[in-house]
Amino acid sequence: MESVSEFLSSATFLLPLGGFLKAFFVAMFGLNLGVILTWVERRMRGMIQDSIGPNRAAIPLPGPVAGGLAFGPAALGAAAVVGLWFSLSQDGGASAHPGWGMIFTQAATFLIWAFSAIMARIVRERGAENAFEEQFTDLGEPRGIVVAGILVQLALVALGVATVGTGYEQAFTDACFSGGMVLLVVVMLGTAGYVAMRLFPEKEVRLTLLGLLHPAADGLKTAFKNDFEPEKGDKLLYQLAPWISFFPVLVLVAVVPFGPALCFGMADGAIDFFTFQGIEAVGNTCEAARFSLQVADLDVGILYYFAMAGTAIVGAALAGWASDNKFSLLGGMRAASQMVSYEVTLGLTVIGALMIFGTVRIDEMVRWQTENAWGIFVQPLGFFLFLTAAIAETKRVPFDIPEGESEIVAGYFTEYAGMKFSMFFFGEFVAVISSSTLMAALFFGGWHLPFLTADGISVTLGETTYFSAAIEPSALAVLGFLTMIVKVVALCVFQIIIRWTLPRFRYDQLMRLGWRKLLPASLVNVMLTAILILAVQSAGAQMQAVVAWLGQLSMLTLGLGFLAVLIGLLVFLITPRKKQRLVVSSAARYVEAMGGVRSLKMEA
Amino acid sequence: MSLRSEDDIVLGPRKVAGSPVARPERTAAVQGYIPEMIKGLGQTIGYALRNTKEMALGTRNDPVLESIDDGINTISYPEQKRPYPERFRGVHRLTQRADGSPRCVACLCCSTACPAQCIHIEAGDYQGDKARAGYEKYPKRFVIDELRCIFCGFCVEACPCDAIRMDTGIHPAPYDSRDQFIYERDLLLNIPGREGQHHTENPRVEPGEAGFPGIARDQH
Repeated sequence: MESVSEFLSSATFLLPLGGFLKAFFVAMFGLNLGVILTWVERRMRGMIQDSIGPNRAAIPLPGPVAGGLAFGPAALGAAAVVGLWFSLSQDGGASAHPGWGMIFTQAATFLIWAFSAIMARIVRERGAENAFEEQFTDLGEPRGIVVAGILVQLALVALGVATVGTGYEQAFTDACFSGGMVLLVVVMLGTAGYVAMRLFPEKEVRLTLLGLLHPAADGLKTAFKNDFEPEKGDKLLYQLAPWISFFPVLVLVAVVPFGPALCFGMADGAIDFFTFQGIEAVGNTCEAARFSLQVADLDVGILYYFAMAGTAIVGAALAGWASDNKFSLLGGMRAASQMVSYEVTLGLTVIGALMIFGTVRIDEMVRWQTENAWGIFVQPLGFFLFLTAAIAETKRVPFDIPEGESEIVAGYFTEYAGMKFSMFFFGEFVAVISSSTLMAALFFGGWHLPFLTADGISVTLGETTYFSAAIEPSALAVLGFLTMIVKVVALCVFQIIIRWTLPRFRYDQLMRLGWRKLLPASLVNVMLTAILILAVQSAGAQMQAVVAWLGQLSMLTLGLGFLAVLIGLLVFLITPRKKQRLVVSSAARYVEAMGGVRSLKMEA
Repeated sequence: MSLRSEDDIVLGPRKVAGSPVARPERTAAVQGYIPEMIKGLGQTIGYALRNTKEMALGTRNDPVLESIDDGINTISYPEQKRPYPERFRGVHRLTQRADGSPRCVACLCCSTACPAQCIHIEAGDYQGDKARAGYEKYPKRFVIDELRCIFCGFCVEACPCDAIRMDTGIHPAPYDSRDQFIYERDLLLNIPGREGQHHTENPRVEPGEAGFPGIARDQH
């Protein structure tokens, strides 16, 4: 028995497991986000072109099962909340953990207004069906409920801040701690219970997950399609090409850290995973043992990225060659020439960043950014060039010359069908993800949030600290990880927006842009960077201080900009849109006479 | 050509308001690509956000009443269907008498009026029925080829007995084979009208009943 627990706590067991888990996570991240991106892309296409978009694939579930799916997780969550509350009460109660009470209350408030808004929306759409639903008809528009809910949440925070230091602080935290827990449990069970109650008697519930199942269903479909093979093509290379173009883009992200390095203690000369000592960030460097959140801790760092990205070219070129088709060959040649051309710009752009960061290891680049300023502030031109070249590398619109439908059918994968086709198709999305991951690490500070240190948040400008709050190291690690994911997703979505905005370049325009505009620009970028570095290094201490202050200012700008975008989005969401009724057809007149489509159930 | 002048552009009975779209000027911003690209990105994001918001808040257009307004006007067929206007000519139905027998007297007016020649009727005599035998015929077969039909409604106009109607509000469903479009008498009798009715509002007085307008059997 003792030997088992010894084995379990020994690094010989955990270190490879950790490595495996990291690799597994990265692979799953790439593949799942690829599916989600496919959905985002089609959905956005629909939204831009004023249509609903493909969202109909569904898993038909019997009512009791669907009800169980709604109620089960909520019941488990409620049990977890109760368990957490008990363990916190044992550990000092509300006064020892003032934050948890606020979290419980805020979560309960959020659930209440979100549920009310959704119910109000449903009732608006199809009318109230029972006495409970009639309550929501009087609540008004969903928009108003959202605004009111957010205001209540802000008021709660304000109340919490106002009571600090007064005689009511203890009463408030106690009320939040116990009352918030009870409210949260009641709301969780109540809302999920109502949903389950409504679903239970249904014969069939169509689970669509907002249409997320549609790309999954399409992907599944390709697995069952005819696996065509051109008769006179090169059999081996034809089979190999999809793998060569898919695999490298998936393993690209192995060198990018997905979160701050975790510090652990040492025991018997090996890493001890049961002594977590915090994250490696500003103000803390790992002393004993360091566990980085990247799959491969390579010294070559970003060079590995370029090596792998270069391999992906071979896949496209091989596919074009092995297909025994002139369109495929043209597409393969175009892909090869385009990717080679833009790889030059991609590499030269990064040189500017390398000069400033002084390392090729991506985790050290991220650390430089956490200490000084994000890459986009020190390399704005570099970021723009990198973004352009990275999109060209993924062979997507506006650089999708290799598969220009209007000219060469589908380019290098014209002769591919079924799963092999979807590997090419999917490989593009994974390439978007991996290029976004690298961009997030190089230019957007990786897992870093402005003013985040190893102890929490501290807003420091110059020598003065304006605000500081301590956060648990484990929470910081999770926060860093989530930040990285959010940044990657945001950059992916941005690339998709570009895809839906810009028309395709002509082939000569593409080559001219690559060699005559981007390449010289990247050389200029390298030169400018070199001059700037020399200037800053040879300047006096005062100038150095100014540069450091500029770096802090950039962080402040980021924080305020983020807040402004959030508020702007909120205001946009709650602004009502003016509409006018246009009764133009006889069908519309008929519907208006009947009292609108909603009451008519739209059944002809 | 004076097509560019505003007064000449006429579409149907109304004049089109507005002026022709001007060619974009080749300013430095346009030729520089990037400023225009950013403008375009803003427009795309704006559209996507606006429509996403409408979907999320449930305030998107009523697809019938606001059908040419900006925004999403999709009708998710077949879960949602565009309602047809009241006088829409849908699939035919044969109306019934109070006892469920067809009102049709097999006079062949509809099949004669039919420009597509898609109605086939075989007339038969009522047998043994004391009230009707010797007075009326009935359709032994009444067949409509819904694929041939052009939905002109002439059969309904021609019918003297209000026996054939197109007020079902149903459009012919897509089937697998041609023979499924051949609607026989019993099927036509079972198709309800819009309100689920099988009868018509027009009164019909059978022979023998009070107020029967024809010549009664015992009168000759």
